Amino acid sequence: MHELSIAQNIIEIISEQCSKSGYAQIDSVNIRIGRASGVMPDALLFAFDAIKVDTMARDAALHIEEVPVTGLCRDCESSFIVEEEYILFCPHCKGNSFHITAGREMDILDMEVS
Amino acid sequence: MKVKVVSRILEANERIALENRRLFDKAGVYVINLMSGPGAGKTSLLEKTLSLNTELKIGVIEGDIAGSDDAERIERLGAPVVQINTGGACHLDANMIYEVLHDLPLQDLDLLVIENVGNLVCPAEFKVGEDIKVMVLSIAEGHDKPLKYPLMFRESAALILNKIDLAPYLDVDMHKIKKDALSLNPNLKIFEISCKTGEGLPAWTEWLRTKARKS
Repeated sequence: MHELSIAQNIIEIISEQCSKSGYAQIDSVNIRIGRASGVMPDALLFAFDAIKVDTMARDAALHIEEVPVTGLCRDCESSFIVEEEYILFCPHCKGNSFHITAGREMDILDMEVS
Repeated sequence: MKVKVVSRILEANERIALENRRLFDKAGVYVINLMSGPGAGKTSLLEKTLSLNTELKIGVIEGDIAGSDDAERIERLGAPVVQINTGGACHLDANMIYEVLHDLPLQDLDLLVIENVGNLVCPAEFKVGEDIKVMVLSIAEGHDKPLKYPLMFRESAALILNKIDLAPYLDVDMHKIKKDALSLNPNLKIFEISCKTGEGLPAWTEWLRTKARKS
């Protein structure tokens, strides 16, 4: 639901970096979004395209790498990846003493500028 | 030309949240980010909490898309309150909080409750500088909510199950709500209450008092 403000944040961060590096235009940007982050990639792409007009990113393509939710079990010490946006129990020992090691990411990785 | 960026997208928000937190700590005020879907009973819970409380100095920030009804309800009970209208935004962010902090007597408060915009999704993602997040779920919303909206259940320190007086009239499985919520977050503290009848409220206010006194 808040993909628009996420898109605004992305454009602010990359525009600042682009200027700092001495370039005028952003051609593409790579970001990483965890599946448990609450961000819908399609909605983010839509929001990014809607607000990039009139910015240094006006011609930029947004590439989203989705990161699956990964957990590490404290009981049986196995690590696992799930399809869902959440983990309810360790798929190996069925215990619920685990911590989430990946899946909440919302990071900008790099970009192509010219 | 490839340029490395390596930046968290919400970095700016997190920086301001840290600054808010520094100001809260300096003033010695404990801060709760209160979240729920629309109509779960956040403002009713605050009204009851303010009425039952005899010890803590409690201030409130009300976040809504529009209107000041909630702030007026709190003001009637004599608590310092500020209303934020987000003008369409689905959540409060750290900067909105920062901008109203000078309108509250932080030094005089023991506890500040920030009532977020009614929304079971986005508020969980944005830190505002709080010590803990607390969420309200009214049982009328259904027992499927923890697994449909896992983030908020995972991020919260306490879950208030409100409107339990409606249980006889609903086909809701309270056991499933609690079981799924605890599976998502084994440390979650759960309170079953009714703001209408007052049932369960003393346990909640006592917990709140202990939390705020520790700070």
